Amino acid sequence: MPTPEEFRALLEDDFGVSEWSEKQPPLIEAVDHHRLAEVLKERGYTLYVFVVASHRPGVEGAEDALTAAGYIELATGLRSPTENSQLAIWRVRVGLDEQLATLVDLFAGADWQEREQFDLVGVRFAGHPDPRRLMLPEDWEGHPLRRDYAINTPHPPWR
Amino acid sequence: MSASSAARPSSAAPASAARLGVDPHRDLSDYDPEADLMVLNMGPQHPSTHGVFRLKLHLDGETIVRAVPYVGYLHRGVEKLLEELTFVQATPIVDKNDYVSPMTNEQAINMAFEALLGIEVPRRARYMRTLFAEMQRIASHLLWLSTFGIDMGGALGGGTTLFMHCFREREWILDLFELVTGARFHYNTHTIGGNRHDIPAGWAKQVHTTLDLIASRIDEYLELSTTNSIFVARTRGVGILPKELALELGITGPILRASGVDHDLRRDAPFHAYDEIEVKVQTEPDGDCLSRALVRVREMKESIRLSKLLVDGIPEGPICGARPIKNPTQFKAKEGQAYVALETPRGELGTYVIGGGKNKAASPYRLKIRPPSLHALSALPYLLPGHSISDTVVILGSLDPIMGEADR
Repeated sequence: MPTPEEFRALLEDDFGVSEWSEKQPPLIEAVDHHRLAEVLKERGYTLYVFVVASHRPGVEGAEDALTAAGYIELATGLRSPTENSQLAIWRVRVGLDEQLATLVDLFAGADWQEREQFDLVGVRFAGHPDPRRLMLPEDWEGHPLRRDYAINTPHPPWR
Repeated sequence: MSASSAARPSSAAPASAARLGVDPHRDLSDYDPEADLMVLNMGPQHPSTHGVFRLKLHLDGETIVRAVPYVGYLHRGVEKLLEELTFVQATPIVDKNDYVSPMTNEQAINMAFEALLGIEVPRRARYMRTLFAEMQRIASHLLWLSTFGIDMGGALGGGTTLFMHCFREREWILDLFELVTGARFHYNTHTIGGNRHDIPAGWAKQVHTTLDLIASRIDEYLELSTTNSIFVARTRGVGILPKELALELGITGPILRASGVDHDLRRDAPFHAYDEIEVKVQTEPDGDCLSRALVRVREMKESIRLSKLLVDGIPEGPICGARPIKNPTQFKAKEGQAYVALETPRGELGTYVIGGGKNKAASPYRLKIRPPSLHALSALPYLLPGHSISDTVVILGSLDPIMGEADR
């Protein structure tokens, strides 16, 4: 049965996570995203729960190149369907022009969830088998949940 | 990544098709040309789609070879809207997401805000929330059973018999909620730190009377369905969802339990009053439509038992732990993230909230609602191939999707 201690030890030993906080899930390198999901699935986290992307616009004069250019932060959650229902959440950061490896080959549910995050936030997934919008019409321009998308942006006539 | 449906690289598809048995992105160009495939659109306006939902079916005669669901017809941009509103203004908005069980929606979003803001809920409010959630589960499953009766058509006494009966009993529960909150629906009774409306005098007795009456009726409905040979013939062995596929798709709630996974957040990750009472989780091993029906009907009986325990056990005390709300920007979260999940009638309803948004940090920076219905609908491309069009209606009905929640 997976435990929080085991999850913490895995991230510290194999994925170089040193900072832990109550209010922030652990942050790993984007290249390790798929590998961590694979390891967790083998260890019993077989229930795909969610993926959530949030856009962070660029900050002028920031020292870190990613912060200066703006990035998308992506949190993923997996659950173990066992007695303690252990939940594993981790975050990755990807640049606005970069792609992140898809999890569809591990979790079939990632298909629609990643399509939704592409649709609304504009994060791109490499190797996704069906990279279409999910919620909005195919001819919609822009990604509504980005910070630079005003809530009163005019939308095309409803069909 | 292009937005057109024409670009469809087949890199990941064959591997998952070998693992899962069905390829949801199946390429039909090499299908037998003699078969003369036909495309049939079910929806977006169709009485059996339980809302505005479109299903594109590729048919070989009467048999489905590929099903492509289209969602988003009810997309209202709730997540974007909540970024503009403050924490205390969010409750009436999420009422309209899962419009069949608004109580659990309110509870989910307020629990997420409480986790982010670090606010405790008093014991009386925790009991009241749990009681409301259990009663809402009965009402929601009754509505599911009634519409499932219509989906089955003539199998259950002309179809509308069960519909009318279940709607009558559901109305009694809504009457009880009206006595507490003043609203039949869209209650707006949960708030950050507790509840707004206290239980009126004599309400507990009315709950007992109503639940006793509903309990006797549910036995009749269980008998009506499991001993009706047409009902059993149309549901047994139809739309089998294997355990591994259900987990991978993120399917939770009664559908997952009907596939033989003994998992329920009420027991396995208890929230509110569930750590003080014991929930008997209902499971079925087969994963077909009949299993899903049986699990839901038994869950209603279990919810009646839990509701009676809870209404008798409500402790005295305050119903809200936070200061009274004087202005909408009262609660602020400059940073931090929280994910809170709870078991609604349809499964795991999660809310991921990130602090530090507009209105001087009194709004969420980003808020994501994890709808169980959307995950349930994503199983359709795997369930439908091999079945006929008439089975489609039964399979879709057995998933109990609510489009307001799936599309948000």
